[in-house]
Amino acid sequence: MIKLTRIDDRLVHGQVAFTWVPSLGVDTLIVANDKTAKDEFLKMTMNLARPANTKLLIRSLADTISFLLDEKNAKLKILVLVSSIKDAAALSIGINEIKTINFGGIRGKEGSRLISKAISITEDDIPLIRELAVRGIELEVRQVPTDSKQLVEALIEK
Amino acid sequence: MLVSFILITAIAMFGHSEDFLGTTLINRPLVLGPLVGLVLGDLQQGVIIGATLELIFMGNIKVGAAIPPDVITGGVLSTAFAIISGKGPAIALALAVPISILAELIISGLFVFRSVFNKRFEQYAEEGSYKKIERLHIFSGLLKPLLMGLITFATLQFGAEAMKSFLNQIPAWLSDGLKVAGNMLPALGFALLMNLMFNKKSAPYFFLGFILTSYLKLPVIAIGGLGVITAVIITGITHKPPSEEEGSDDDAVQAPALIAALPRRTIRSLFWRSMTLEANFNFETWQNSGFAFSIIPVLKKLYTTKQAMAAALKRHLQFFNTSPYGSTLIIGIVAAMEEQNKKSEEFDVESINSVKLGLMGPLAGVFDSLFWGTFKVIAAGVGASLAIKGNVLGPILFLLIFNIPHLILRYNLTFIGYNTGTKFLQNLAKTNVMDKLTSGSSIMGLMVLGAMTATLMSIITPLKIGGTDSAVTLQFILDQILPNMIPLGLTFLTYYFVKKNVKTTWLLLGLLALGFLGSIMHIFA
Repeated sequence: MIKLTRIDDRLVHGQVAFTWVPSLGVDTLIVANDKTAKDEFLKMTMNLARPANTKLLIRSLADTISFLLDEKNAKLKILVLVSSIKDAAALSIGINEIKTINFGGIRGKEGSRLISKAISITEDDIPLIRELAVRGIELEVRQVPTDSKQLVEALIEK
Repeated sequence: MLVSFILITAIAMFGHSEDFLGTTLINRPLVLGPLVGLVLGDLQQGVIIGATLELIFMGNIKVGAAIPPDVITGGVLSTAFAIISGKGPAIALALAVPISILAELIISGLFVFRSVFNKRFEQYAEEGSYKKIERLHIFSGLLKPLLMGLITFATLQFGAEAMKSFLNQIPAWLSDGLKVAGNMLPALGFALLMNLMFNKKSAPYFFLGFILTSYLKLPVIAIGGLGVITAVIITGITHKPPSEEEGSDDDAVQAPALIAALPRRTIRSLFWRSMTLEANFNFETWQNSGFAFSIIPVLKKLYTTKQAMAAALKRHLQFFNTSPYGSTLIIGIVAAMEEQNKKSEEFDVESINSVKLGLMGPLAGVFDSLFWGTFKVIAAGVGASLAIKGNVLGPILFLLIFNIPHLILRYNLTFIGYNTGTKFLQNLAKTNVMDKLTSGSSIMGLMVLGAMTATLMSIITPLKIGGTDSAVTLQFILDQILPNMIPLGLTFLTYYFVKKNVKTTWLLLGLLALGFLGSIMHIFA
């Protein structure tokens, strides 16, 4: 069962290891990222941050989808981390179970604007967000579990 | 009074300077409370109020850009008002909560505003003028103490009299109620910490700590020591040294041959400069200029042309964020890579950024858990348990227990990073040291948390059972079964609601109401 699907371009870090994993009682952390899955150095660093008593899997997007669709893994309590809205959208198309996407952290880049403390989006992201919203997926911004949920659509309008 | 106000303002500014004084927890109420008390001529009261506030704000920690209520402004002002009006900890608490929530809004605004400087930083980098970058970094860092100092002073100067007469009108039943409510609030702090550490596997350690203090009356400091011993024994059993397996593909990651020829003095200055990592924290690029500021001594040594300097400065003004406690490891590694870049033609400059970006997240995970989840809990547990009785050693031990491991580790990590580069991390990854450390530290943290639940919440019930002459207090019976049963129950009740995702503000208000009504109806005292 997927406990949370989170967009966070730092992938595994303090907020994830230290607040989300314990508070959701997650036992499996999946980093769904094509680049990291191929990079031995990044894999090594992420393994260092693996929270105690948690399994950390680093998979490509395609492998993540097949892992999550596998009946054998239905019992796991999973937190899926992706680094971009695009990747989150791709996952949500492959997996119907994803009904809500948490926006945790997207850093600013050329031409982006800050819609919340830790979320920057570009114009290219907006159609993706609209499409996800149309498909009835809740898009909520929270850095840590105790933050109150803010909806991405409402933040874009501002 | 003016002199006192100026001194109290200076204390608030000192607290807000923590961002460039190494994130050493000098901004906590437990430390600032006694200072305010000293200025106002009642050190002991300051120590006690500081401890009370520390317990309530215990679960509030800064992880990433999630900014907690501003306990600095809230703590300093409320302590001052409470002492000036002679009303004690209960009033301090009632004032601290709203003030810190308001002050947090102002600070968030500042963190948004600071993004304005980024254009400037980039322009200075383009010019290759590291001096201007250093200056702007420090200037931006000073904004926070200056701004919050101004607010503190204005509030004291224009609000103290009004606040005093207002507080004097508070009837006794109201302050009694507040006192009981205040004693209940640590349950929220404990519950928030439990939410980070408590699970089926680790539950016994919490109860071990609780029982050792509840029945055997051991002080929290003893539990800290026993926690270390238990953690060492348990992880020794559960974490056997890994046997040779899993076809070791250690050649997959090539560690660059290091030169490491920079003088020790230069590397040491990286450690000192890392203290300012958070000075210009902003919501756009986070600690970017802090990183640039820290690495400048190395860049100065290596790059003599304007062009090379400009490229390096731009490289290090990119988004960065990690736990300050482990930051020097990354800074040290990057120093070695910059040196490599200078010496070798075919060095891939991009690899510097990928190492920075690759390490900042995971290392933040490791060091935040270790310092916030363990050292801070133990330090606050020991410190507050002494300070709540008015003992000045409380805040001192608090700072020492946290900062001795912090500074030793932070200093050494600079050299480990520089001398061994990413090899250190690869070795770490091959063994199970990290796993052992995280498991061990959660054992220690939970034992102390259990002990704190037993000692730092004084809630009893004055209810009596039976007729007027043969009356037995209910508390006496409860104590026969399990001492401190009410604090324990209250903590678990709050934890239950935290698990149910009830908002912290509601829990706070709920506990206040429960304590308040309980006091008026003589159920709790």
